[in-house]
Amino acid sequence: MSRIALTGTPGTGKTTVSELVAEAVDVEVVHLNDAIREAELFEERDVERDSLVADLDGVEAWLDEREASSGGHADEGTERDVLVESHLAHLLDVDRVIVLRCHPDELNPRLRERGESEASIAENAESEALDVILAEAVERHGAESVWEIDTTGRAPETVADDVAAAIEGDTEPRVGVVDFVEYL
Amino acid sequence: MSESETTRDKWGIAHVHASFNNTLITVTDLTGAETIVKSSGGAVVKQNRDEASPYAAMQMAESVAEEIKAAGIEGLHVRVRGPGGNDNKSPGPGAQATIRALARAGLEIGRIEDVTPIPHDGTRAPKNSRL
Ligand SMILES: Nc1ncnc2c1ncn2[C@@H]1O[C@H](COP(=O)(O)OP(=O)(O)O)[C@@H](O)[C@H]1O
Ligand SMILES: [Mg+2]
Repeated sequence: MSRIALTGTPGTGKTTVSELVAEAVDVEVVHLNDAIREAELFEERDVERDSLVADLDGVEAWLDEREASSGGHADEGTERDVLVESHLAHLLDVDRVIVLRCHPDELNPRLRERGESEASIAENAESEALDVILAEAVERHGAESVWEIDTTGRAPETVADDVAAAIEGDTEPRVGVVDFVEYL
Repeated sequence: MSESETTRDKWGIAHVHASFNNTLITVTDLTGAETIVKSSGGAVVKQNRDEASPYAAMQMAESVAEEIKAAGIEGLHVRVRGPGGNDNKSPGPGAQATIRALARAGLEIGRIEDVTPIPHDGTRAPKNSRL
């Protein structure tokens, strides 16, 4: 059994793509944002950003417990892989990291349609332009464990194919595929 | 013009954008409103990023420093945005390499602030999650 992170700036399509992937590959998807809210895995509230500040140790313990109670023994290799979907997933102890990317010019309307505040849209678009999540993922897990996938101008179904291929081990890790700084 | 204003005019703010693949510097006046110098960017040679990263950022910082000094600026406060380097483990070309190069070129460095944006969507990471 392995634990795979599907991460990326909010709006890059993690939730949408994870559901498509689950139709094609035998993985169990964990929507971490829901879990953080429902199991109260947070330390405090960031009022300015209207966001819960995740308790990452708590999240880790929650994931371990969840796997243990579903009868899993990590070394038996019989359980399904777990795909943890969240822009925080790469901050966890995972075996592989898939990072979705999207040009900020395309991210803006996606976030606006979802009803995010202008301040949130701006900060997320800037985060994407600066590769914040990709850099964190590589820093923590090494480039040899990270698959960066550009979703700009692509349908969720095609992106899901790439994610599935990364999960199944059909593609090699790859980073440094986009450069969005000209947006800044 | 009073003496304090004359002194203040000699300072600017360097906005260092340090991404995974690139480094950009914009120098503004102290209000942030007027851009004095805009760098063309220290893009990393992707095939050989380990060697190229700090070098590209440093080269850019050196040429930016010349322009800044020519514009009469003697000192800079620095605002760093981006994960590319508040220490040597970071994968990006590196804010630290850029700041060191500006200092070596003879500019006085004042306050350094990290204003890296935080991705969020109803949840966010704690501040200390950055290594
Ligand atoms: N590849 C894509 N192309 C265009 N729109 C997309 C794509 N993937 C997702 N979207 C849309 O963008 C918005 C954000 O997608 P979502 O899956 O919620 O992102 P995340 O979970 O990464 O925040 C949704 O409205 C979704 O329909
Ligand atoms: Mg989501």
